[in-house]
Amino acid sequence: MWHLYNAIQDWMQTTWIHHVVLDYAWSWPTLETLHFIGLSTLIGALLVMDLRLIGFQTVIPLRAVHALAPVAIVSFAINLITGLGFVIAVPRMYTTNWSFWAKMICVFLAGVNFIIYYTAIEPKLLKAGPTAPTPLSAKAIGVSSLVLWFSVLSFGRLLPYLGVGGG
Amino acid sequence: MITCHAIGMGVMVGLALILDARLLGRFVDIPYSALHRFQGVAWLGFGINFLSGSCLFTTGSATKYIWNQEGGHWNWIFMTKMSLVILGAISAAVLQNSVGRNSASWAPGGAAPGNVRVVAWLSVFFWTMAIVTGRLTAYL
Repeated sequence: MWHLYNAIQDWMQTTWIHHVVLDYAWSWPTLETLHFIGLSTLIGALLVMDLRLIGFQTVIPLRAVHALAPVAIVSFAINLITGLGFVIAVPRMYTTNWSFWAKMICVFLAGVNFIIYYTAIEPKLLKAGPTAPTPLSAKAIGVSSLVLWFSVLSFGRLLPYLGVGGG
Repeated sequence: MITCHAIGMGVMVGLALILDARLLGRFVDIPYSALHRFQGVAWLGFGINFLSGSCLFTTGSATKYIWNQEGGHWNWIFMTKMSLVILGAISAAVLQNSVGRNSASWAPGGAAPGNVRVVAWLSVFFWTMAIVTGRLTAYL
């Protein structure tokens, strides 16, 4: 298992992505800028969605929350791709940093949270009517989503300052 | 502080971009009255960044952000970023004022009138470029 873990990180450093990210002065800043723009649109979409689920501005019909989901998903995809670029470029700078793993755990939990919302909660909400008050389960999903994503942001931004290495 | 600055950025820019998209005719299910309230939330992010940015500026000192002592030149990237942030804030204030005063007379299920859409596009440009130049501040 440990062997495989090391082999994957060695293999990452042989790929063309590793070279593209490291060999040009502009690659890293460009990826980082895209990562920040993706971060902003993700947080923006989530704030409207989650605050609505919590009960802020119930004049917004719940289908608007549904319509914003693609924005959050595309933003996350941008950040997954640019983030993978960083990890493939210098895998051990991240895998030896506990803040990176804390961030990844929060990303995973936020993903689980979203799947629970999408499969178990949203269908009920859409049936209940556009401006019906949201049940406690929806409020809990909204709160945990905001807490988890702001944790992702914080652990990510603190990466260079926590643990050894970092960037 | 740098973490607060990233959080404030996400709140201010993220909401500004979503609200601009609404004014440009996307996510038309969101009524203008709710838009106005979320513009208020965006200012919370702006406040966080004004405070955390001021702290970072003080610790970095003017020798880093205004005049690059090592290189012996003005820090143009930082000053461009600050100009874009000010323009972004002005556009946000103009849009908030416009939504607050006039949106009752706009057709509810579509885009805002042409002049408002122009400001919304400018807002998209200012905030996106503020992030680009802000990130470049760390490299140039």
